[in-house]
Amino acid sequence: MTENIAPYIVLSGVRKAYRIGGEMISIFSGLDLTIPQGDFVAVMGPSGSGKSTLLNMLAGIDSPDSGTLRIGTSRLDQMGEAARAAWRAHNMGIVFQFYNLLPMLSVAENVELPLLLKPLSRKERRLRVDKVLDLVGLAGRAKQYPALMSGGQQQRIGIARAIVSDPGLLLCDEPTGDLDRKSADEVLEMLRFLNRHLQKTIVMVTHDPQAALYARRTLHLDKGDFVEEKRAA
Amino acid sequence: MSTHSRQALVMIRTNLSSLPRRRAISISMILSVALVVCVLAGFLSMAKGFETALNGAGSPAVAVILGGGTNQETGSDIPASVIRTLGAMTGDLGVTRNADGQLVVSREIVVPVDMKQITNGAARTLALRGMDALGPSIRDGIGLSAGRYFTPGAREIVVGDRLASEFGLAVGDTVRLGAVDWTVAGHFSAHGSAFESEIWADLDAVRAAFDRQGQVQSLKLRLTDPAALKLLQDKVATITGTPLVVLSEADLYAAQSGRTAGLIRLFGWPLALLMAVGAAAGALNTMMSSVTDRTVEIATVRALGFSRLSAFLGTWVEAIVLAGAGGIVGLLASWLIFNGWQASTIGANNARMAFQLAVTPDVLVTSGLLGLAIGILGGALPAIAATRLPLTAALRARG
Repeated sequence: MTENIAPYIVLSGVRKAYRIGGEMISIFSGLDLTIPQGDFVAVMGPSGSGKSTLLNMLAGIDSPDSGTLRIGTSRLDQMGEAARAAWRAHNMGIVFQFYNLLPMLSVAENVELPLLLKPLSRKERRLRVDKVLDLVGLAGRAKQYPALMSGGQQQRIGIARAIVSDPGLLLCDEPTGDLDRKSADEVLEMLRFLNRHLQKTIVMVTHDPQAALYARRTLHLDKGDFVEEKRAA
Repeated sequence: MSTHSRQALVMIRTNLSSLPRRRAISISMILSVALVVCVLAGFLSMAKGFETALNGAGSPAVAVILGGGTNQETGSDIPASVIRTLGAMTGDLGVTRNADGQLVVSREIVVPVDMKQITNGAARTLALRGMDALGPSIRDGIGLSAGRYFTPGAREIVVGDRLASEFGLAVGDTVRLGAVDWTVAGHFSAHGSAFESEIWADLDAVRAAFDRQGQVQSLKLRLTDPAALKLLQDKVATITGTPLVVLSEADLYAAQSGRTAGLIRLFGWPLALLMAVGAAAGALNTMMSSVTDRTVEIATVRALGFSRLSAFLGTWVEAIVLAGAGGIVGLLASWLIFNGWQASTIGANNARMAFQLAVTPDVLVTSGLLGLAIGILGGALPAIAATRLPLTAALRARG
């Protein structure tokens, strides 16, 4: 399915280095990557391979030193921080390893957060929140607080928050890293559902080979370059 | 409501809701601000109470003539020739005259006397004012609350209500002032003004008892109108031989209160500001702790697309709310501790002057604003720090 669709994410000749202790450490020295719209890509690799840096750049949290980073029609490498934040708010959802829910807000209020950045009425926001909570199987839990819920449920709240504004791209940072196998499978099934039925493009960083099996393809990153690509059967 | 307002409100709400996680340090900030506010309110209420006591004593419709080039009763001396000259002046002096055409005037002297308090037996120096029989009636706002005024020539005194209760002076009691005994003829009320810290007696009796024969320190005259003071000043200026100062009673007491109140404020403000600097440093520490505590939360919402401004406002408003809470605690404490508290100081004529501390609205506002300023200044830097948190913290930290 994905091969025939135009590239959605394009990294071309991306270079990135960090100064650590007075020494420049190169993470990427000319990284190229193309991800079509509607793809579900797992990115694996050992610690220090550049997975987090890649995710940060895709999220617009970090920017390349040089090279091209395009998502859709937007050149993130040419945007300032405020523009990237605005772009993020409208085009992307992030699923965090440790859920990153705000404990003093209810489930519905957590999910509503990205909608506060959009010119929507309270009623419209409530409708959207109810819809995604229903989608992730948490209808009826809207007024509860995350701390009272299991890890799997909390991650489903995280996913609901990531998709509530209907972004085209989902970035998942070790989404099952803090979950038991059963909960992890439930979350991964949900991501697969979002990819296959709602056509979300998903980039998932993971250490878990089982998790990677849910993706359409798996990219192995090592020392700042992709060394292997596997496609799902 | 705009998206910016919604972001800010969410950040403010999440910050304030997370306060219980930082209970101890938040309470310490509230208390430190409360202490600063309370101390400043204490000093300001002291100054305000002192001013109220003295300003309440002075009337713009009463003129005071002082001699000897001074503008205080202490050190003033009015020669008898001046009094005779003044009395002989005809025409309009701007001063009320009685049915016989005589000026309504009271010659007065003030003698410091020692008296023991009933509470602790400690001796206090009080002002014994000798005056003519017209003296009490010339003044505004004076009323007998018990007994009667002194009889001319008799060793009788009338005491202010405040002194009467503090020293246990009942009508009919005998007290020793100087070398002679005096009988308490009555109590007078002056609405809490400085007059209530004085003892009044007949001028000649005081002069005889304290060997001050012929001495007059001041003349009190009832003006026909407050605006007539200028006319009296012009007339008195024609009297040569001794330098005379003519001013309204209100100005006389305002000058006295201004000096002392200024001194109280001069001491109080630097102390409060020094404490405020310390409290602001404490607030800065508290809010830095708050930012550290909420690093993941702030970075998460920023990663979702929330603006830097919302992160700034969330932290800043938290600091201001904590400072505001401290201010309210401090103001309540100052109200409970200081308002109406009896204090005394050395007033005019080296005599003790009692007054009530007054925690007035302007004292509350000024002190409260200082408390808020601590939050505004102490919270600004941490709020800026909150906007500069690396967003990568959201992706790698355990939330």
